[in-house]
Amino acid sequence: MLCMGMNDQQAVQATLAGDKDAYRVLVVRHSPSLFRVAFRITGNEADAEDVVQEALLRGYSKLGNFDQRAQFGTWIYRITVRCALDRIDASRRDGRLNGRMEANQLRVSEENDPEQQAVQVADRTAGPERLLLSGEIGALQQAALGCLTSIECAAFMLRHMEDCSSEEIGVTLGIAPNAAKQAVFRAVQKLRQRLAVLRASA
Amino acid sequence: MNHLQDEALIAHFYREPASETETGAGNRFAVESHLADCAACSAAYAALRNDLATMKAADLPARDAAYGERVWRQIAPSLPAYEPVKKRWLRMELWRGLGLATACTVMLAGAFFAGRLWEQKHAPVVAVQPLAPQPAVKQHVVVVVLSDHLDSSERLLVELKHADPNNEETLPPLRDEARALLAANRICQKDSELKNDPQLAAALNRLDQLLDEMANRPEGLNAATLVQFQQEMNAEGLLFEVRVLRSRVEHQEAAKAAQSLRGKPQGGTI
Repeated sequence: MLCMGMNDQQAVQATLAGDKDAYRVLVVRHSPSLFRVAFRITGNEADAEDVVQEALLRGYSKLGNFDQRAQFGTWIYRITVRCALDRIDASRRDGRLNGRMEANQLRVSEENDPEQQAVQVADRTAGPERLLLSGEIGALQQAALGCLTSIECAAFMLRHMEDCSSEEIGVTLGIAPNAAKQAVFRAVQKLRQRLAVLRASA
Repeated sequence: MNHLQDEALIAHFYREPASETETGAGNRFAVESHLADCAACSAAYAALRNDLATMKAADLPARDAAYGERVWRQIAPSLPAYEPVKKRWLRMELWRGLGLATACTVMLAGAFFAGRLWEQKHAPVVAVQPLAPQPAVKQHVVVVVLSDHLDSSERLLVELKHADPNNEETLPPLRDEARALLAANRICQKDSELKNDPQLAAALNRLDQLLDEMANRPEGLNAATLVQFQQEMNAEGLLFEVRVLRSRVEHQEAAKAAQSLRGKPQGGTI
């Protein structure tokens, strides 16, 4: 019997005791926050939804290994981030384009080729002001993020958007805190280079 | 102070120490002081802050309140129910019990066979070798008694022959020795009759009379009776006969011992 009033620990215990519906409590409770972080990293709504489902499935299968003294929310959050990283890597291997896969076009634009720059922007007639005002800057940001490695992208998103510390990022990504910090540093440098064209045009 | 590097500016922006060796508060104060004094670094930090400020999170697609339920409906068919922990525990206990029972059985069987082997290895020789026939053992005991008896009797007769009738102190030991030998003499006497050994039987019969007189004479053993024994009972002749018999018995025992050494144990007779 489903009881939405049970806490995470009780739900985990009930699930492990054979009450499959108890996992529903955890799914309903954590899906929105998992979707948020998945979307931050993948930049794609459909991918984010797939990542959430995959993370919850993976979490269910590994629930027997979950240390019940820990927080289920933190644990499933890390699984979601890693699923998102896997999704990014798989997408890049497949050459599948998404909102961030226009980085090649953006890289061409850094060469200050007016024709190529016109190609990369959705609205050929839009100038810098138009870009800023119409929200095209968001598309450029997404494209710039596509130039980052999956680790750099995740580290930057966790640092910049989710306000995680280097220690938290390290734990989530399974790397050392200093490595997490360096990943954020490299991500910021790369993003600033990619966005220089936007600043110059403004 | 040198100009701040990008890494230090980025760390400052995210409120983190620039390096692991620096503490947050002290480092932050030092960076802020430098930025206040250094126009170049201040401009660089302003540019960084401006760039990062433009990196806003993309608009998060809205999820309605039923989003979690939808996720659950999508994944629920793929989730196998966990086996209750209690059942798993019972199964584990069952296997553990079976393992324990098997181990006990193996140990018991091992102990049983080890005991059998040990018993076979350390069994007494008597239990393995066939026992000699009971009469032979009995006969052997009689032979031993006879040889000892003849030896003791010979010593008594020698003492009787050389006893000084005037020394009364020598008489009680002779009487006591005669009493001790009387019972053994009768056993040997019966055995000699059973074995149909007339020579031995006759000698033991005469010895019996002498011992009986020495041991049970009503007036006791005194100088007069001692002389009488020495003369009338022909102790000297009896001594000769006992010596002959003892020699014969010793010879027979030596022959039996030689037979035993040749591996042919055989119950001998006198």
